Amino acid sequence: MAGMTRVFHKALALSLLLLAVLSSCTPGGERLFKKSRLSMDTIVTITVASSSETAAEAAIEKAFTETERLAALLSYFSENSEVTAINRSAGVRPVVVSRETFDLVEKALYVSEKTGGAFDITVGPLMDIWNFHDGVLPPDSAVQAKRMLAGYRDIKLDSVRKSVFLMRKGMKIDLGGIAKGYIADKVVEVLKKTGIKAGVAAMAGDIKTFGKKPDGKPWKIGVKNPRPLAKDADADILAAVSFYDSAISTAGDYERYFIKDGIRYHHILDPKTGYPAGGCRSVSVIAADGVIADGFDNGIFVLGPLKGMSLLKSLGIDGIIVDSAGAVTFTDGLKGKIEIREK
Amino acid sequence: MPRGSEVRIEVSGALRYTFPLSLDRTVAVDGPLGSTLIEIRDGKVRVKESPCHNRICMHQGWIRSGAVVCLPNRVIVTVSGPGGKGEFDGISG
Repeated sequence: MAGMTRVFHKALALSLLLLAVLSSCTPGGERLFKKSRLSMDTIVTITVASSSETAAEAAIEKAFTETERLAALLSYFSENSEVTAINRSAGVRPVVVSRETFDLVEKALYVSEKTGGAFDITVGPLMDIWNFHDGVLPPDSAVQAKRMLAGYRDIKLDSVRKSVFLMRKGMKIDLGGIAKGYIADKVVEVLKKTGIKAGVAAMAGDIKTFGKKPDGKPWKIGVKNPRPLAKDADADILAAVSFYDSAISTAGDYERYFIKDGIRYHHILDPKTGYPAGGCRSVSVIAADGVIADGFDNGIFVLGPLKGMSLLKSLGIDGIIVDSAGAVTFTDGLKGKIEIREK
Repeated sequence: MPRGSEVRIEVSGALRYTFPLSLDRTVAVDGPLGSTLIEIRDGKVRVKESPCHNRICMHQGWIRSGAVVCLPNRVIVTVSGPGGKGEFDGISG
């Protein structure tokens, strides 16, 4: 769910799902506690290791509060978000924003530079005209017109005033392709401040882990198979990856798409063409920071398997690429940590 | 299926039903958009019918673990067992 999913419709925070005690009998008396909530139009799941249920619940509650706080700032759809304020002032004036919003836009620009614009948060106007629910192809004239409004180089940051300025009228930034990874990072910071030594912050598929599990083992994350053999969650795993302090995000062409005349139109748009990028089925990036994993999974998807793999290597971060024919490749750094389930 | 796996059905944050995954049945719950039909059969569960626009919940098909979520109708169906939901600490993708 890492793609340019428009996850920020409205901060929902609907419900407390489950509090599960997942393991027991460890030397320090620590167990895993896990809770899920609907937030940002997706499932947010927080897992913490603790010897106290009360402490675990309090930490998890703080994590959900932080999720909601950041989602409110970064939402594309909310009338009151800072992103909406920036977009409304495009071509008019710079907007002073919070440290977090500024920080995230700055990081997004870093990913844009490194990917040569394959990742670009100024695809907002393009995303607006693609309707993946109804499967209606936008007219090419509209795609070309909106494509001209993209261009990360026309975002001006003032690091002293902490302001963001979109230089041309009609420009819009959409942080949906990077925000969940960033929020996962921030949630982990909050958990650590409460004294939690190990846990997982999962904004749907954008996941950040820290510390070791109570049994000393690494966290084990399943990567979805982009073309599951059966409509069954158990048979839906392409690979299992195990690590301690890392984040993982996956961008896939199966998250939001429609098929028309035999062509799959999905939500990961190439900012240069305005159309869905064709080279991959899915890209997972594993990095120390969630914001890096989440930003680069989209950019590498757009670059395609060859350029994408060489970028991963030059950046020194790990990744798994499933190309458009289904071939799976991964970086050397994952050897010994990855188990491929299906090819 | 893991022994004791159960299906939890929540609407708008409130727990409506808890059923064993081993017991075949179909149940309807009312959300803000209307009635969502949930079917449990042969150790699997799915959203059979939904009043929502996008039908993502229905397209997800049968699950044996994890969750099916219908955001528009505020319905969450989760499968959990006493030992947790399996070998993974998270699913990316």
